[in-house]
Amino acid sequence: MFLAINEMKHSKLRYALVIGVVFLIAYLVFFLTGLAYGLAQENRTAVDKWQADRILLSDEANGKLNMSMLTMDDYESVKAEDKAALAQFPGIVYQKGKKDQQINVSFFGIEADEFLAPNLVKGRMFKNTGEVVVNDSLTKEDGLQVGDQLKVAGSKQTLKIVGFTDEAMYNVAPVIYMSLADFQEIRFNQALPEEAMKINAIVVRGQTKQVADNLEKVKISAFINDLPGYSAQNMTFAFMIGFLIVIAAIVIGIFIYILTMQKQAIFGVMKAQGISNFFIARSVFVQTAILAFVGIVLGLALTYLSSLVLPAAVPFAIFWGLYLAVSVGMWVIAILSAVFSVSTVVKIDPLQAIS
Amino acid sequence: MQAIEFRNVRKEYQDGSQIIQALKPTNLVINKGEFVAIVGPSGSGKSTFLTLAGGLLTPSEGEILVNNQPFSQVAEKKRAQLRFKEIGFILQSSNLIPFLTIEDQMRLVDKITHQPRPQLVQELFEQLSIQHLAKKYPENLSGGERQRVAIARALYNDPTIILADEPTASLDSTRAFEVVELLAKETKLNNKATIMVTHDIRMTKYCDRIFEMKDGVLTEKQA
Repeated sequence: MFLAINEMKHSKLRYALVIGVVFLIAYLVFFLTGLAYGLAQENRTAVDKWQADRILLSDEANGKLNMSMLTMDDYESVKAEDKAALAQFPGIVYQKGKKDQQINVSFFGIEADEFLAPNLVKGRMFKNTGEVVVNDSLTKEDGLQVGDQLKVAGSKQTLKIVGFTDEAMYNVAPVIYMSLADFQEIRFNQALPEEAMKINAIVVRGQTKQVADNLEKVKISAFINDLPGYSAQNMTFAFMIGFLIVIAAIVIGIFIYILTMQKQAIFGVMKAQGISNFFIARSVFVQTAILAFVGIVLGLALTYLSSLVLPAAVPFAIFWGLYLAVSVGMWVIAILSAVFSVSTVVKIDPLQAIS
Repeated sequence: MQAIEFRNVRKEYQDGSQIIQALKPTNLVINKGEFVAIVGPSGSGKSTFLTLAGGLLTPSEGEILVNNQPFSQVAEKKRAQLRFKEIGFILQSSNLIPFLTIEDQMRLVDKITHQPRPQLVQELFEQLSIQHLAKKYPENLSGGERQRVAIARALYNDPTIILADEPTASLDSTRAFEVVELLAKETKLNNKATIMVTHDIRMTKYCDRIFEMKDGVLTEKQA
């Protein structure tokens, strides 16, 4: 500690530069992590909101919601602790009179008295024909308000916003919740009697006691992983972040190695004086740990500041647990990178001090 | 009180197919309070003698005892510990650590012994007239000042032996005499055994005993 800190105080610029490089890489890592997490969230928050255990899909749907087509008979066949019908369809809406500002959305057809009904942050639940509850990104990003009228592309239907919910994104699109009956009208362009209504899935909480043969039980976690593009996206980010962490470790390892090489003569003298390898090696490790720590903390701080000024449309989200894990991982790997330097310290011959 | 003893110590190197006798069999006892000079031309084996005495090399044959304890025969780790405790080095240019202030050079020793001795720092700094340099870095000191600090650092461990390797090499003669005189004074004052290797014969006038090294043979010159 003593050697490490005194040396850094003495050569401020040199160590500030090393910290600067670690800081920039850490910032990049955290920014990518934030984007990865944000994007992942925009795929799944509407599903997380269900707090369900399983989703029942058609056994021919290969786990894909939009490929699954079920009837109300299927719904009736399911015996479970709690169940809810779900119809889903991607669509495009725009505010009445603003056809040039189209918004990609995901329609969820649900029953207002079942557990899929979203929480409300403003307004009320839909009740009458044509009323919808929408995700609050439509007010944050598109400026829509309670009472606004929405036109649905390819349909004569007009929807009226009566309430807002939050954190309801499905497959990177904000969700518009409506009754199953309204959904049928948009999806099939005709009103259907209740027994003829089509749904996509049955969402289940707790034990599923009995299902029809043509239904497949899918765990919610598996269902999320199977969302189109979801795991590919996460894997891409994970690889980028992983490589960056390793690169950061290599960079700091190289810096420490060069600094150690420059100090060979000094270390030689210290060893001649009988100062142990352990003492010198510990100082190299402590120095690496401090450099990496300061760089990482600065990177985190800048990431947080950046998140405050990012526009709402950027899918960026901070999850401190994830950041803690990434930080600790980065820190530990950086410290390990000092092993090369320590092995040179051990090899320095104190004899070179005399001659 | 004997500080260091060479018992039939011999050192040879393999240089290609040749074997070089760097130190022919040597017997020697140096006592505490003695200031000893070893003179001789370069390549005569002076440095070999010093590295053996400092435990940085082990003899090919024979045994070295420091403060009546086995020294050359013990394992490297143990030898490093003994070196830290029993031997103070003063090296040619400087054995100071460039990124520590003068007082921190001493505090580094405290960090290893876990026994801060601010009183001793004060005392040594006064003896060597370097109190005013305490907060400075070695790079801001003159050559003579640096060697005075090096003497303080070598004494701070309270070692049995001080090994000085050409301590005046980078100094002009006035400064050189000053440093050697100081070294002689400190040897007596602190009852150390000081071995100084030098090629400058003028520096030996403060020494109690003078040895000459020639082709690996160490002979004492009668004063």
